[in-house]
Amino acid sequence: MPTPFIMPKMDMDQEVVTIIAWLKNEGDQIEKGEPVIEVETDKITSEIEAPESGILANILYHENEEAPVTKVVAYILKEGESPDSIPELEKKVEPTPSKSEETSTEDVTVKPISHATPLAEKVSKDLGVQLKQVSPSGSKVTRKDVEAFAEKLKDQVIPRVSVPATPAARSLAEERGLDLESLSGSGPRGRIQAADVPMQAPSQPEQVLAETVQAAVTTSIPLVGKRKRIAERMTASYQSTPHIYLTVEVDMTASESARKRINLLAEKEGQSAISVTAFLAKMVAWALGRHPYLNASLQDEKIFLSEDANIGIATAVADGLIVPVIHGANKLTLREINMNLQYLTKQARAGVLTANEVSGGTFTISNLGMYGITSFTAIINPPQSAILAVGGLVRKPVVVDENDTIAVRPMMNLTLGADHRVVDGAVAAAFLADLVRALESPELVLY
Amino acid sequence: MPEITYREAIHDAMVEEMRRDENVFLIGEDIGTYGGAFGVSAGMLAEFGPERIRETPISELAIVGAAAGAAMVGMKPIAELMFMDFILLALEPLMNQAAKARYMFGGKATVPMVVRMPGGSGTGAAAQHSQSLESILMHIPGIKVVAPSTAYDAKGLLLSAIRDPNPICFVEHKLLYKVKGEVPVGEYTIPLGVADIKHPGDDITVVTSGIMVQKSLAVAQKLNQEGISVEVLDLRTLRPMDSQAIINSVKKTGRLLVVHEAVQTGGWAGEVMAVVSSSEAFDYLDAPMRRLAGKDVPIPYNRFLEAAAVPQEADIEAEIRAIVSNKY
Amino acid sequence: MTTWKKEEFDNFETTDVLEKSSELGINQEKLIDMYRTMVKIRIFEEMADKQYALGKVHGTMHLSAGQEAVAVGAGFAINKGDYLLNHHRGHGHFIASGADVNKMMAEFLGKDTGYCHGRGGSMHIADVTANNLGANGIVGGGLQLAVGVGLAVQMKKTDQIVLTIFGDGAANEGIFHESLNMAAIWNLPILYLCENNQYGMSANVVRVSAKTPFKDRAAAYGIPGYYIDGNDVLAVYEFIRKAADNARSGKGPVFVEAQTYRYFGHSKSDRNLYRTKEEIDYWKSVEDPIIRFEKLLLNANLIDIQSINMIKEEMSKVIDESVTFAENSPEPDVKDVTEWVYA
Repeated sequence: MPTPFIMPKMDMDQEVVTIIAWLKNEGDQIEKGEPVIEVETDKITSEIEAPESGILANILYHENEEAPVTKVVAYILKEGESPDSIPELEKKVEPTPSKSEETSTEDVTVKPISHATPLAEKVSKDLGVQLKQVSPSGSKVTRKDVEAFAEKLKDQVIPRVSVPATPAARSLAEERGLDLESLSGSGPRGRIQAADVPMQAPSQPEQVLAETVQAAVTTSIPLVGKRKRIAERMTASYQSTPHIYLTVEVDMTASESARKRINLLAEKEGQSAISVTAFLAKMVAWALGRHPYLNASLQDEKIFLSEDANIGIATAVADGLIVPVIHGANKLTLREINMNLQYLTKQARAGVLTANEVSGGTFTISNLGMYGITSFTAIINPPQSAILAVGGLVRKPVVVDENDTIAVRPMMNLTLGADHRVVDGAVAAAFLADLVRALESPELVLY
Repeated sequence: MPEITYREAIHDAMVEEMRRDENVFLIGEDIGTYGGAFGVSAGMLAEFGPERIRETPISELAIVGAAAGAAMVGMKPIAELMFMDFILLALEPLMNQAAKARYMFGGKATVPMVVRMPGGSGTGAAAQHSQSLESILMHIPGIKVVAPSTAYDAKGLLLSAIRDPNPICFVEHKLLYKVKGEVPVGEYTIPLGVADIKHPGDDITVVTSGIMVQKSLAVAQKLNQEGISVEVLDLRTLRPMDSQAIINSVKKTGRLLVVHEAVQTGGWAGEVMAVVSSSEAFDYLDAPMRRLAGKDVPIPYNRFLEAAAVPQEADIEAEIRAIVSNKY
Repeated sequence: MTTWKKEEFDNFETTDVLEKSSELGINQEKLIDMYRTMVKIRIFEEMADKQYALGKVHGTMHLSAGQEAVAVGAGFAINKGDYLLNHHRGHGHFIASGADVNKMMAEFLGKDTGYCHGRGGSMHIADVTANNLGANGIVGGGLQLAVGVGLAVQMKKTDQIVLTIFGDGAANEGIFHESLNMAAIWNLPILYLCENNQYGMSANVVRVSAKTPFKDRAAAYGIPGYYIDGNDVLAVYEFIRKAADNARSGKGPVFVEAQTYRYFGHSKSDRNLYRTKEEIDYWKSVEDPIIRFEKLLLNANLIDIQSINMIKEEMSKVIDESVTFAENSPEPDVKDVTEWVYA
């Protein structure tokens, strides 16, 4: 005789369950212990497993119907058994379409056909599994499928968060819609600090523009992120470092002529043109080699003289200022310095400088010549001991020899800011004198 | 406002409250003619007599136990332990009796008692007379732990402690007894469980208490001149801890240093950090939270060793500099 | 192991209840009430054991069956309003001092209607409002609190006394000495009742105590000490009454050591490996405090068998009702778990 599939009682005062789904169809082979029906009581949703193996037959209660507990809801046919052997009384009556069903045909199925059972959907939510990724073992994704999938996920090695960042940096980046991976960290071991998270996403210039416009009409801009960091550093430097300033005017005729000649060569070779800043960096690196106190840092009551001239180039970016560093500029050729500088500037503008690229500077050059500034003073970038403020080239009449001959020459103002705790006025003056010498006779350096 | 010492502030609080409330009495060793090991109760015997200035045998267990018993039947005892270290002899009545009576009797008992105990190092008293055991005391539900850092706080907090219906450990620091501060004449209270910003700042929050508040303040003032803005948050009451004040401050500064004299392992700095990392303040952290605590050693005798065993101003300064400059 | 000698007792065994009761000023009604209370304690303890066996008790318990004479003798000898500080085997003393067995049983089953709203259980039953400052889970825990309560009484100048009951085990705790010394130097109105049931858990009192009886230790602090038959309810009453009068009149602390015996194991995990069945049987048959008192009352014609049976039935009913009360009582609300940590 076929085995009756009895709806089990799951709770003390329970009388019926609602059938949510048949996970198998009539005629399907089912295995003992395999979930076959998904049901819902007033407390829980659960799956009813097959009591025996065999062919599912004579389903008596259908989806969305209530079925009494402890009563037969279907039969399981073993080999050799046929539906005919099911007791007459228990045979199903094909439901005659009711009136309501007829009318319901008008408003075509609205509900999308799900490939998962409702229980599976619920469980997937609880387990945080994406249902789309689960493939069903039968006609629909069942709870078991979801659980098995979740179990597999557990075994996978979950990669560590790849970008080290402080919680503040993380929340700021999220707030500003930035991908941490696109940022570089100035913290220890490259950790992204709040200050490293730019106000706007560098990859979305339209947004930058929009936000800048918006900023113009607001009355207050919170001092956060990079702006705050700049504010803090500059305030600390200004308050704790006794600055001295020395200014010289350099005749750039020889330098400009040398740069032009070099650039003609570069053009022929398909190389980029050497910029004024790169040229300056080369000269500064040379002068620093002769004046180590300008290439020094004061930390913990000690003066550290650096062998390498790591020259920082103050670079304006969308949300402020960043100072990428040309490491070992004293050992690089002019062309190498130029290539370095071009690369760093590009990275800076894209906001993707690495921690290494912005740290370890021993001297800073700040060039505002392109903005038409002829002369200015700059604040030292601690713990460095000096900074060179570079004005623009101005062609103007100057006395060029002891006969008071006046000629028009490309002139440039250089203002050196130095930490008086490390550098005395005379030392600073000597450095500037050498730098002027180099710029006015570049062959001294380039030879 | 007149300037008086921390010792005088505690003395005044006791005297004033004993005048107001006849149920308040002082019990402890050598508190009568001698005036207490640190002179806090000097002169009180003459005013209140031996019944209310109850001088005891050297029986710390019974002193704290008797205080608990008296408190359960309506008195408001102040027990003085000569050194905080000796509370270890009396943890039974403190932790098993006083702390639990109310709860295990279903809310029917109250135990309004104060145990005053001078703790801390710096006097060359070595391992058994220099400990800072507040972290141990904080571990027991039912007890409040108060640790004032100034004369003003000492008086206001002690008055609140005496009036509080719970058993309270009032931790005094030996080195603070001589420290003067402005204290108004007469009655005022400072609520328990409320921290105090002793120095406002924006760059880093230093959460601390007791003597370390004074040290942290000195550092904060020094660094302020360099533009490093340190917020010194004095917890004042260690349990219950003013979590909201900690969270608010860290949200403002994004950096946290906890400083305490109690030894590091199992110390309450961990509790402060847990408060931060399980609150919304976590998202504001821009540096790892750090702590500066007593080294994991008994307090040594030699003055240089002793100083090296607990945080000093230079240590606090260096740690703050490291954190604000991301060099840790 | 011999742990006691009757000839060392400071009391004469009560042989004529009429003579003794008139000497003590106890009327027949009070005598029957004492008997009834002893029966009540015994039935309560047996019911507690049964409830445990039925799996209704969450924790452990320390039963005082066999020690009823100490509880009742002491409980009836002190005044209402006197303070009581108890040890962990405390059910009997609370019943003797008038506690509500419904609330006790409810506490025992951890219910919200219990004395401590299910927070304390068997070991921490207290009724602070009735000056019952609780059983104590720490051996000797009451000895230190008693000093403070005694101080408070002295300072408030009331005519209360403090009865602190502790076991032979507590006499070997350090606090025993600190407490007695302080009570002596300050002349506090404290009654130290050492309920010597011969075993600190499994440790026989003689094996772990250099010198017994403990009353000799009281002498070291200049406190009058007595060693009495703790299974003679009228002897306990007599000595505690005298001691209470002494303390109440400002003469300071008194120490009374009452020799008794516990029938059940230390707690429910005890398999009685440290004592013989013969020893237990001896106490249960020859020395049982209820049987001894029953005989005295019967001999003096103060009670008859019928009344005895009636009392036992009546008390069984009272205890049965306490179980019904406890069972029908609600559990405490778990959301209140952190209530009452602080006032």
